[in-house]
Parts: sequence; C-alpha cells; structure tokens
Amino acid sequence: MHLINYRNASPATRFGGRYGTQDLENELNWLFGTALNGFVPPVLGGQFPVDLYEDKDNTYVRAELPGVTRDAISVEMIEGSLSLQASRKEKTAEGESTVSFNRLVSIPDEVASDKVTAAYENGILTVTLPRKEESKPKKINVSVN
Amino acid sequence: MSFFNSLIPTAAGAVSCAESEALPARRPAYEVTESDSGYNLTVTLPGVSKEGLEITDEGGELRIVGKRAGKLPEGVVILHRESTDAAFELVLEHDNTIDPAKTEAELKDGVLHLKLTKAESAKPRKIAVT
Repeated sequence: MHLINYRNASPATRFGGRYGTQDLENELNWLFGTALNGFVPPVLGGQFPVDLYEDKDNTYVRAELPGVTRDAISVEMIEGSLSLQASRKEKTAEGESTVSFNRLVSIPDEVASDKVTAAYENGILTVTLPRKEESKPKKINVSVN
Repeated sequence: MSFFNSLIPTAAGAVSCAESEALPARRPAYEVTESDSGYNLTVTLPGVSKEGLEITDEGGELRIVGKRAGKLPEGVVILHRESTDAAFELVLEHDNTIDPAKTEAELKDGVLHLKLTKAESAKPRKIAVT
C-alpha cells in the first residue's frame, strides 16, 4: 500500500536504519548548526513531519506546522490525495521572506471527501477524514478552523 | 555520545532525559538575535501548549522544557509516523547579565518568543570624558 509520496528524503530518514538512533544525527546537526551559525535557517522549508493514523470511523492526517497563521494553510483533496500547503513569513536581515511548505499524502479510497474537517492548534494541523462506503474522486476546498 | 558531551558540555542538553518521559528530550530549532536592550529568542515547539511549557533561569543557565500536549489518541492504528512524542529541551548559557524580572514570554501556534532584557549594568553606556 502506498501511503506517502516523498518529494525528498527527509532529514529524519536519511540516517535511519544505519545507526538506529537519532542521537548521532542530533549531535551532527548541532555541530553543523554551530559551525554554520546564521547560515542554516531554524526550520528548513519544504518538508514537515506528517503522521497518518486511523480509528474505526475516521482517518487522521496530522502535520507539524509551527508558527503558521490559519489563513496561510491550504488543505485540499485532490483525486484521493490530501494536499497540505502552508507558508510562513520570516524576518531576515534583508527584510521579510516567505517560506513555503507542502506535502501530498495519499489517503485510503474510502474517505468521504466532502466531510473532511481540519483544525489547527499549538502549531499542529489535524485533518479528520471520515470514512464512507464508496469512493468518488473529486477536488474540493476545505476550510481550516 | 559521552565523547561529544565531554568535548562540548552544552551538547548534553540535547540527549538528557526529561523526568516524566521515557523518550530522550530533543533540542528544538531556535534563533537568538541581540539588540542593545536585550536578546530575542525564538524557539520552535510544535505541539506544546502553555501548560506543558517550563522556562527556568538559574545560575546563568536558561532552560526551556516543552512537553507535547497533542499526543496520539489511545486505540488508534498508526499507518505512518514521522513525529515523536519526545519532549523538547533547550539549555542556553548566558553570562548572568539578564534581568529575569523583565523577561517576557509568548507562546503562539507552537512558537515561543522570549524577550530577555539585559540588566542595566550590562547595557552599553557612554562615558563622558571630562
């Protein structure tokens, strides 16, 4: 079953399997972060962690998007996939820059796409996808609470 | 990791354990900028609410511990997971020139903004030559 479309290998998975622990990665990130102080942004744009889980009624997609305003979050159902997009304005030495994030998550066919809801709290976006009997591919816009 | 920690004492904060968590704490992304009056610290703490946040400043050590509120509900089936419930812990050392009474903290949408004001004695002063 194909669940997640990876656009790039995320930093969290790059060392996965070889060391079995994130400690070394944390240390290396810290060392490089120190050496390249002011050069590496606190959070790299593009990728953000996504969880996919389900109970008997719903499938849930949860994404970590700290510091994003609700207006800047876009949640769309596109032909059986959930598109999550967000942007955040950051102050830099040169002024203000916009960092964009996006993920496309393949979701199970049995989701009632017209009943999808989303909530944003403490920097975490949770999208609730209720199940239905039959699937009908279509594109809809979902408002974010 | 003891080798790294012995080389760089401040790195120990990245792997130390929070008291009530079985998972090791992780160091959050953060940014510090300095101005004449103080320091502005921005820490990314996704999933941390005000109740789960603890900020202490003692002995020249600013410690920020954030426990995640948004844990996965009981009884769900996890299909794919990239996040972790590990708490955040950030320890920053300073030279004790911060006035703790004037520290302001704001947590919004998983991002902590901390305004640290320099003590009067640490602010730059112009000295008139007579």
